[in-house]
Amino acid sequence: MAVSVGTKPVRVGVVKLASCDGCQLGFLDLGPALLDIGVKFQIVEFGEASSNRSPDGPFDILFVEGSISTDEQLRHIRHLRDRAAVLVTIGACATSGGIQALRAWAGNDGGIAGFVDAVYATPEYVDTLAKATPVADHVQVDAELRGCPIDTGQLVELLTATAVGRRPQLPSEAVCVQCKRAGKVCVMVSRGEPCLGPIISTGCDALCPGMARGCYGCFGPRESANGDSLASWFSESLGLPDERVAAKFAGFTAWAPELREVIEARGGPPGMRVGGGPGPETQAEPAAVSSEPEGGAA
Amino acid sequence: MIELDTRAWLPREGLDRLIALLREDGRKVVGPTVRDAAIVYDEIGSSADLPTGVTDEQAPGRYRIHKGGNGNGSAGRSFDFASSPTSWKSYTYPASVPLARARRDGDEVEYSAIGHDAPRLAYLGVRACDIAALAIHDDVLTGGPYIDEDYADRRGKAFIVAVECAVPSGTCFCASMGTGPEVSNGFDIALTELDEGYVVKTGSEAGQQLVERLELEAPSSLQMHAAAGVGVEARAMMSEQLGVTTEGLKDRLVAQLEAKGWDEIAERCLACTNCTMACPTCFCTDVRQTSDLLATETVSERQWASCFTLDFARVAHGNFRPRVKDRYRQWLTHKFSTWVDQFGTSGCVGCGRCITWCPVGIDVRESLLQVAPLRPPMEQTQQPVPVSANPGRYSIGTIAEIWAETQNVYTLKMKDLPESVCAGLPGQFLMLDLPGFSAVPISISRYREDEIFLTIRTEGASTRAITSLRPGSQIGLRGPVGRGWPMEEAFGRDVIIVAGGIGLPPLRPLIDNILARRGHFGRVKLFYGARAPKDLVFTEELKAWAERDDIGIGVTVDRAKVGTWSGAVGVVTHLFDREPIDGSHTTAYICGPEKMMSAASNSLAGRGILPEHIYLSMERHMECGIGLCGHCQMGKYFVCKDGPVFSRRELGVSLDMEGL
Repeated sequence: MAVSVGTKPVRVGVVKLASCDGCQLGFLDLGPALLDIGVKFQIVEFGEASSNRSPDGPFDILFVEGSISTDEQLRHIRHLRDRAAVLVTIGACATSGGIQALRAWAGNDGGIAGFVDAVYATPEYVDTLAKATPVADHVQVDAELRGCPIDTGQLVELLTATAVGRRPQLPSEAVCVQCKRAGKVCVMVSRGEPCLGPIISTGCDALCPGMARGCYGCFGPRESANGDSLASWFSESLGLPDERVAAKFAGFTAWAPELREVIEARGGPPGMRVGGGPGPETQAEPAAVSSEPEGGAA
Repeated sequence: MIELDTRAWLPREGLDRLIALLREDGRKVVGPTVRDAAIVYDEIGSSADLPTGVTDEQAPGRYRIHKGGNGNGSAGRSFDFASSPTSWKSYTYPASVPLARARRDGDEVEYSAIGHDAPRLAYLGVRACDIAALAIHDDVLTGGPYIDEDYADRRGKAFIVAVECAVPSGTCFCASMGTGPEVSNGFDIALTELDEGYVVKTGSEAGQQLVERLELEAPSSLQMHAAAGVGVEARAMMSEQLGVTTEGLKDRLVAQLEAKGWDEIAERCLACTNCTMACPTCFCTDVRQTSDLLATETVSERQWASCFTLDFARVAHGNFRPRVKDRYRQWLTHKFSTWVDQFGTSGCVGCGRCITWCPVGIDVRESLLQVAPLRPPMEQTQQPVPVSANPGRYSIGTIAEIWAETQNVYTLKMKDLPESVCAGLPGQFLMLDLPGFSAVPISISRYREDEIFLTIRTEGASTRAITSLRPGSQIGLRGPVGRGWPMEEAFGRDVIIVAGGIGLPPLRPLIDNILARRGHFGRVKLFYGARAPKDLVFTEELKAWAERDDIGIGVTVDRAKVGTWSGAVGVVTHLFDREPIDGSHTTAYICGPEKMMSAASNSLAGRGILPEHIYLSMERHMECGIGLCGHCQMGKYFVCKDGPVFSRRELGVSLDMEGL
């Protein structure tokens, strides 16, 4: 990232695409640090927080929440990219597609059109792409803040690093590191609870293992994520059938390649199992919905 | 006055008095207690907090606690469990320790160290392995010239109540590392738990004073005797499970930096850091700085780090250990090898935590076997002395069955044999002696529990006579003799087996053994060539092997009539010309006509296999089979005694030299 921090305040924007707004709340949750933001940063666009808006920037840093779910969002993100010096994606939706990316496995059962018909009373008003994809599939992204939702500590670190002009220290290590430092007993070893922690990035303070639950993967795969080995352990040592292994991996960051591979090798997420038909990669687009964007996830 | 290292008897109810005295002295007492489905170390107020009647069960990647009975059949004990999820380093060397505050104001910077004022702690229930780990940390962190002040502070204030280990878990291997199970030093007092109380041993001045205040009786001789049995029993339990062979380990391990095993382990390893975090001796840390948003005030803290993270070996222009394999190798070689260079002891105390708490159950004991097995000296395993080897002293075997493999090759299944014959090794041979005919050396082509197979080509009078015998006929035999195929040498490596014609039978016991211990080897391939399809032996078995996915089979013939053969045609070396071969990780075994062995070994040497990793079985005229008759001399060797299996390096020029 190259943001020059001089006397002029840094122009910051916070925008959303297909998402729940929870990560934007990370800014509002900063507490006293929020006041410090005003010293170095000028928030020029933040629909969630202020009606004083400059939706077209220009931005020194633009934070983007949400995945690309419609054709309109695809056009919008390309426009925003041109208006932002630095683009930072925030949250599981923007960085990996989010929970909505599961629809990529709509399979043969009417495909995405079948999903839309099943969910909405007037599906003809719904214009959606067949897949919800991360922002980085479509435009260049300069930095990512992972999580569902993001960790405010990481947000402060990113802002501080930007203000100081250094590289942000964002962890690439496993959730296990936080469990062990905090003295939390491993739920997989001591209870046989399947846990994605070993292949997922830290950031959550190991929230779920601290509650005797396995990690759900909110922060997405870390570097060197060995999904195959972990999935084999789920099957062979914890005795989970393929469907439950796939279910464990098919969470908030299911569309991240390291998790997706495991899910597909085990027949797709439960309830969306494609039953030997063409997988999401080769699936023909139903005519009722927009066609796949160029450069889409593959 | 109680002398140092004397014993006293602490009745079970007296433990609370001990805890109370420690607390009176201003110490917090940290001991085992049940939390989160595990026995962890935490602050305890009284013996009621101890895991009385709870025991643990540990295996690679698995930990469970149980109420009730335990290894000693008693439900009332408080220390009947093995290693805890995290070690005492949580207290002596905590996961996170603040170091300094810094302020930056314009051009000026200002630092203030954060003082170390650790609480006075008493550690209750420290095991021998963990005492050894503390001694290692003392060396590493306070051995100089620089010391870790926070550690020194905490360690200096610690009071150690050791407890003898009574029920080691399935992942314990302290006995093989020489650190336990018996507590021998490094404690203030040590307890040995019996049903009705504890035998107390003092190990320091402070411990002695504490025991004096307890005003205890001396233990009875019965109690002393029972206490002495605790360690013996724990050692016996551990001796039944896998340990670490420390002999030569430091050098063995660094000699295997290129071993295939690292790649295989890396396929399973998650690089999640759990092993290093759970390890009581891993001491690596980061210094992490956190600033407020305006970066005016920065706090730095020391926190546990791990060589398994990518950032651990990162520098501005790249990373020294980008692959998981690099990181696992760094950890294991440091623990068992380079640690010795740096600090004079192993970095492993055998507590087994890295095994239990590995989420995918990677076991260091197996990893060490996989990458750096201790190879027994070849002579010991390769040359057992048979019952009858000398000419004139025969064993007798009976032909159970006989069948034709080809027009002129027969297999004899032999029964009613002495045990030593069936205990022979792959690649060894027998001298067969049918009265009236000269003895012939014949390799054993299969071992069964009380049978052997002999596969013989009819070439001279002796072999014609032997292969004409009927089931029920007896044959005199001597052996097995000779040096067979060295198999341990290929542990952890790829294996290539090359056979020509009647060269396959001597290799078959090797193949049988490899398949029986398949996990010890990398990829295994057999290349078999014969003059014509009708000369191929063991054709049914070749088909069966070809259907397995743990051995690759390539078969070729020199020539075949049109329409009679659908396989490859050409010399056997052509089969592996196109084969991907990782020369530095492959061992080759070759048997066949000498010209073929020469060509094959030269070809394989050209693919990067060193001559000491290429083995051939030589044929020579033999009369005695035990190195006394002189017939089989080849250069400096007698083929019968020093061979028939030789490495290509041993043979040197004598392989290709005519008339030698």
